[in-house]
Amino acid sequence: MAAARLLQAVVPRFSCLGSLGKAAPSTSQLSSRLYGTLLAPEANQQVEPNVINDRIITEPLRHPDFFNVKELFSLKDLFDARVHLGHKKGCRHRFMEPYIFGCRLDQDIIDLDQTMKHLQLALNFTAHIAYRKGIILFVNRNRQFGHLVEVTARDCGEYAHTRYWQGGLLTNAHVQYGTGIRLPDLLVFISTLNNVFEPHVAVRDAAKMNIPTVGVVDTNCNPSIITYPIPGNDDSPLAVELYCKIFKMTITRAKNKRKQMEVLYGLQNKADSS
Amino acid sequence: MATLSWSRAASRSRAWQLLGAARRGSSSGTGDSPGTGVSLPEPEKRPSGLTGAGPQQVPSKNVESFASMLRCSPLVQMGPAKGKIVLGQIFHIVEDDLYIDFGGKFHCVCKRPEVDGEKYQKGSRVRLRLVDLELTSRFLGAKTDTTLLEADAVLLGLLESREIRQKE
Repeated sequence: MAAARLLQAVVPRFSCLGSLGKAAPSTSQLSSRLYGTLLAPEANQQVEPNVINDRIITEPLRHPDFFNVKELFSLKDLFDARVHLGHKKGCRHRFMEPYIFGCRLDQDIIDLDQTMKHLQLALNFTAHIAYRKGIILFVNRNRQFGHLVEVTARDCGEYAHTRYWQGGLLTNAHVQYGTGIRLPDLLVFISTLNNVFEPHVAVRDAAKMNIPTVGVVDTNCNPSIITYPIPGNDDSPLAVELYCKIFKMTITRAKNKRKQMEVLYGLQNKADSS
Repeated sequence: MATLSWSRAASRSRAWQLLGAARRGSSSGTGDSPGTGVSLPEPEKRPSGLTGAGPQQVPSKNVESFASMLRCSPLVQMGPAKGKIVLGQIFHIVEDDLYIDFGGKFHCVCKRPEVDGEKYQKGSRVRLRLVDLELTSRFLGAKTDTTLLEADAVLLGLLESREIRQKE
């Protein structure tokens, strides 16, 4: 319950979680809606002493960029990886117009200044989720980069889904996989479209299940329901390699930081008690 | 005779090097000089470690705005893509189909030519004449264009090694 409230502090959008969090653990087993999100945090608190847990979790929230994700990329890196190139004018999605710098000879150019800001926000959020031992699922249906995304996920110890998405994977999980299933805490989309140029079903399903999403949106994608959209090219190999590298570095950095903090506060606690 | 045909070709057309920055590791933000015949960029004398250490560089000297980077980029300097000669690199081969990356958003796919067919391997540099940067079309009854996620180009031939020797 405290974890849900802390999540609410990080992302005020999820204030609805506050109402869910007030339900007692016994009633959560009855209502299937709460099942996927609430079970895991309860177990954690019983194991660790409350004081250390609170310090470890609240310390990163005091800094705007605790994991220093700004230094992982620069404007020049994005430019050289062709992140600013968009599709042709005719493919443009109406909701991407705020993120487009302009249109040059019918080709849309994405505004990299905005991309920098959005990328920094998204990476910061991902790092916080990884720091709190959240499950991150990489989703991508672009066949050209499926293997790369799977390798990236494996290398940072997280999960990837680059195959056909069955309808009830998130929304019908407790029927398809049995009771007690833990859903991912973050979905990262390297491309938000599926193979027929329609929005990936997981974007809508994650929004239904209150799972935050981070996604790279190209000029033909719909950025509306994605929590942390990153306007950028999702078709060039160089750009996708850059995203994968940056996400991998962020997640590993956050996990290492967590280990560091646990050691630090564990030692402090031992020093205090002895 | 061979050198004469090369210089005639050079005066007729100049090839754009769009692949320069990322693939080669040269950190030139400005466009390549298009005036010299087949424009192979001179290898930068700076250590190539600079490109890898991008974010750690002293920010005061190298802060270039996105707008100026865009304006000086080879893709924008090139202008309309129709009919332009560019240099590309083959990154994937499926039997007779060559997937060539020339520095744009998409790659192009060309058939292996009969002349010197075996010389086209992964990593070979080739000359292309661009037709379109992205193949899109609006079909009847559709709200948006349908895109093929491919560029269109005509394969002119391998990059002549003779020109490399002439440059140096």
